[in-house]
Amino acid sequence: MEQLQHHNFSILAALLAAGMPLLSFCWSALRGKQQKSGYTAIMAIAISMICSIYLFSRYWNKEELNEQVTWFRIGDHSFMAGILLNNLSVLMLVLISSIALLVHIYSTAYMKGDPGIHRYWMYLSLFCAAMLGLVMADNLLLMYMCWELVGFASYLLIGFWFTKESAVQANKKAFIINRIGDLGFLTGIALIYAQFGTLDIKPLFSNEPLWSVSEVVSGNWLGAGHQIPAVWLTVAGLAFFVGAIAKSAQFPLHTWLPDAMEGPTSVSSLIHAATMVAAGVFLLARVFPLFNETVLTIMAIIGSFTALMAATIALTQHDLKKILAFSTISQLGFMISAVGIGIPGIAMFHLVTHAIFKCLLFLAAGVVIHEMQHANQKSQPGSDPQDIRQMGGLKRYMPITTTVAIVGAMALSGLPLTSGYLSKDALLISAFEWADLRFGPTIIIPISLLISSVLTSFYIARLIIKVFFGKQRIYPGNPEKLDIREAFPAMLIPMIILGLAALFPFFSANPLVFEHSWLLEGFDRPETLERMNLYHTMVPAAVNLLGISVIYIAWRWYAENTYPLKTSGFLYRFSYFQWYIDRLQTDYLVRPVMLFSAACASFDRKVLDGFINVVKNAGLWLARLAAWVDQYIVDGLVNGIAGLAFWLGNVLRRSQNGRVQYYMLSMFIIVLMVWLFNFIVHA
Amino acid sequence: MSLLSLLIFLPLPGAILILLLPQSRQVAYKYIALLVSLLQLILSGFLYAWFNPASAGISKQGLYQFVEQLPWIRLDLGSLGKLEIDYMVGIDGLSLPFLFLTALVMTVAVIASWNMNKSLKGYFSLLLLLNIAVMGVFSALDFFLFYVFYELMLLPLYFLIGIWGGVRREYAAIKFFLYTLFGSVFMLLVIIGLYFSVTNPATGAHSFNMLYMMDAGNFAPGALFSPGTAQSIFGIPARLLGFIVLFVAFAIKVPIVPLHTWLPDAHVEAPTPVSIILAGILLKVGGYGILRVCFSIFPDAALQSAWWLGLIGVISILYGAMNALAQKDLKRLIAYSSISHMGFVLLGMASMTTEGIGGAMYQMISHGFLSTMLFFLVGVLYDRVHDRYIYNFRGLANVMPGYTVYTAIAFFASLGLPGFSAFIAEAFSLIGAFRSESVNGLLPRWMAMAGSLGILLSAAYFLWTLQRMFFGQTRLKGGDEWVKQLTPISPRETIVLVPMLVFALLLGLMPGLVFEKINASLLAIVDLVTK
Repeated sequence: MEQLQHHNFSILAALLAAGMPLLSFCWSALRGKQQKSGYTAIMAIAISMICSIYLFSRYWNKEELNEQVTWFRIGDHSFMAGILLNNLSVLMLVLISSIALLVHIYSTAYMKGDPGIHRYWMYLSLFCAAMLGLVMADNLLLMYMCWELVGFASYLLIGFWFTKESAVQANKKAFIINRIGDLGFLTGIALIYAQFGTLDIKPLFSNEPLWSVSEVVSGNWLGAGHQIPAVWLTVAGLAFFVGAIAKSAQFPLHTWLPDAMEGPTSVSSLIHAATMVAAGVFLLARVFPLFNETVLTIMAIIGSFTALMAATIALTQHDLKKILAFSTISQLGFMISAVGIGIPGIAMFHLVTHAIFKCLLFLAAGVVIHEMQHANQKSQPGSDPQDIRQMGGLKRYMPITTTVAIVGAMALSGLPLTSGYLSKDALLISAFEWADLRFGPTIIIPISLLISSVLTSFYIARLIIKVFFGKQRIYPGNPEKLDIREAFPAMLIPMIILGLAALFPFFSANPLVFEHSWLLEGFDRPETLERMNLYHTMVPAAVNLLGISVIYIAWRWYAENTYPLKTSGFLYRFSYFQWYIDRLQTDYLVRPVMLFSAACASFDRKVLDGFINVVKNAGLWLARLAAWVDQYIVDGLVNGIAGLAFWLGNVLRRSQNGRVQYYMLSMFIIVLMVWLFNFIVHA
Repeated sequence: MSLLSLLIFLPLPGAILILLLPQSRQVAYKYIALLVSLLQLILSGFLYAWFNPASAGISKQGLYQFVEQLPWIRLDLGSLGKLEIDYMVGIDGLSLPFLFLTALVMTVAVIASWNMNKSLKGYFSLLLLLNIAVMGVFSALDFFLFYVFYELMLLPLYFLIGIWGGVRREYAAIKFFLYTLFGSVFMLLVIIGLYFSVTNPATGAHSFNMLYMMDAGNFAPGALFSPGTAQSIFGIPARLLGFIVLFVAFAIKVPIVPLHTWLPDAHVEAPTPVSIILAGILLKVGGYGILRVCFSIFPDAALQSAWWLGLIGVISILYGAMNALAQKDLKRLIAYSSISHMGFVLLGMASMTTEGIGGAMYQMISHGFLSTMLFFLVGVLYDRVHDRYIYNFRGLANVMPGYTVYTAIAFFASLGLPGFSAFIAEAFSLIGAFRSESVNGLLPRWMAMAGSLGILLSAAYFLWTLQRMFFGQTRLKGGDEWVKQLTPISPRETIVLVPMLVFALLLGLMPGLVFEKINASLLAIVDLVTK
């Protein structure tokens, strides 16, 4: 009985967790412009967080909860809706709701005075509801719905300042690229459904499935009662993966994320760094048993490639938020490759630590941008408040922000005593262990991850140094005139909390050994990887030695202004223009589609409709012909006969003129003709 | 008189009343039309509620509901036997949702006609006549009666477009008329062929009863359309040819590519209420006809042609979407998007799975609400500034925030955002198409994959339009003049938009509302076709 009560209470808590933000959304939607203060939204997300923490305490490392009701039926198939609470979902619940709460609080100060603030709270609540729903959903269809709704909320928030052309271009791009991923997800769902007749996650992907979702026997993928060629298993895996690379901004579908920085920085921090973009990784972890070796390998390659690519791009960007965006792409690449390596648990670990420190970095960036905007308005209106070349020496104005930003940066570059150290080391070490078992070229993957990790240290050091240290660039000679201040408490407190959470004690009592982290204990470590002690000492040592050396180089270059490189070299431009990928996509993908669509339209107008017009004209012409025939031939014949009779009558009438001579003459002619006729015939 | 007949002929007294009232009382016309539509709406709502979901219909007369059968024409034709034409109406899961949809869309159309001021008497009586015809098509079970109603739809529409339409209205009207007539003339031949092939098992007379036509036992052995017959016309098996002819007749209505070119012209030239009716209901007559007539009477030919139907569906989806992307007239864009969305109907049906046909039915219903909303929204803009050219507008969100919200919701609902009906519809059409290869081997999986690209393209053209017309800094072709004319949405317009939106949302969240009623029929038709 008590058990049952707990059970019902948990369901209520879960429903509240996703339902409160939803209610807040509906309430704001109904109230419209009157809903200026964010208290409703904050209250809602706070309740969500409390519920999430309760659920976490009840279900972390304990028996999972799966409760569902029939949603609808098609034919004789039932589709269920329900919640699935296991380690994966309760972890995400707590992460999302607490980061969301902090960002909500931060936003009260950050978005203050914006004329569209009522929309801001509404969209934010919608996002939270969809995101929390996404992680709790117990079947793929429901998950897909939430998946698209978070994309929708992200669309709304990227285009929050909808009069800005670049913002509305960016949100359109984000939604359309995410749609490509959605197609993948939907294809995956359809294949799974066709194969197993159900979309429920628990029977499909749990540890003891009714059937193994990826069972292949003699080249055929076994389903419920039938089998199809094994290639479809790969297709299904790739389909889900496409969904993940769009949402998690992986090559080649990453181009929307840098543009998405057009949204408010608080939004970038919550959606485009901490939570939504991680949904792709979450999805991969959810459906992990589906992936076969081919798909996993592709995943590892794409992930590590993206990690490296985005890190090289981040080296040269000038826009504060763009650097962080590419950093996010790069870190997501780490997580994706971790899933590909077969360690979704470590991917989740890195997801959590990354969410915290990247959110922190974005919030700090928000403070800087906020203040720069303020200062620029007075000193040099029109200049870009996000350009790090304009910044420098800000640490004396905002010491606390500087400190927490440095903590975030340290975590990002994986320096000891931070959470990033634990998760990144876990990831790199496992990658090496994985490659060790496989020989040959697979070693490229851990090595490229290692290189990316070193590059990460450099670009984040460059960012921190250029923004907070070095020489002041606005009013360099006259620091008193510069009106830059420390952030408001509503912005500082969330950052401080995040800063503390980005340190090691939050995740593990032992700052140096990742294996003791409580979070990792919640996920199975794959048996295929055996612990190789060599890597456990070598990798962290290498990462930190290289990392600290590049940080030192960055200090020399940027703080002491000894930057030695040309900025016109090919490599520099290649990095600065983001490997030209965006341009290639526009030129070789978007433009051909537009041309093709124009061609279709002209085909439709000229050929198809033209054909109809030809038929029409042929019909008209035939009709005219018929009319002509009718008038001149059919009617002409009738008229001709009538005319002939008339003419004959006229001719014959003349003969009746009453003169005997004429009658005589006619008789004579007739006799003559008879005689002539006989003469000719008988001759 | 059964409730169903009452529903069908309710507009008749209204139309007569309008015709009798003098011109000086013309203000009353719209109220009469509205009253009739509302009564129908209530009645169809009750029919929907009272409909017993367990009873499937499709090929079994006993399982139809609200049936009314009266002998209509009885003629002794001597050696040709007795002519039997019945007035026979009844509904099952395939027709039920459309009756409600028709009543709703007709009500909306009347409200959308509120400010109409050109020959009102003719307009509203034609609207009511059209109403009778559409209701009749969805309920007729006698093929002759079906054909009478089917042709009856054509007449009012021709005049509604041709008299009350835009600049090129006469061109559009005649194009529409000829296209549809082209299909239905040949349909008549097949109907007659079927008549002579089928006998009423009770009386032994030839029969137009559609339900008899669905049972192989009622065909005279050796008759033209007997199942298993070796008869052929022009070298094509007779049954296949019969199927193709009927399919083409209905496919013109759907419309499919390449028989669609009447639609953009008809939509662009038609006045807003007629566009609403065209997109909201008339396209569905095509889809309904394919299920009720083509699939049910010629299941063997349907199976045989499934691959082609699927291909046509995919082509319609992609081609319609590609065209929509290139349009610069908002109404034309929406017209092409209709073609694309109706492609999902065909793809879903061709899969011959419950999911696919269910998705197709759902898509028709959902498109009924959404296209109504979209065309109404175009009308809202056109009413104010008499312009629809996309590049003449920019930053409308600043001028008409309420209108922007409704349009954005309608666009997102149409592009299949989860939570709205189109999502369920498109997802299940595709899922059905995917499942087909495993279940019955009719459609290859690539068709479903190609079809899903339509979802991507629909996002592209709708979002692009949003960006071009609604976002950015305000810049209108008509300048400040337009800003003054672009007044906020009126209460009358809200009354139309809100219910549509609520329905689209409700059906997106609770698909059971529809599926509960149609499941039995879905199973029955899949069973009938695939045996």
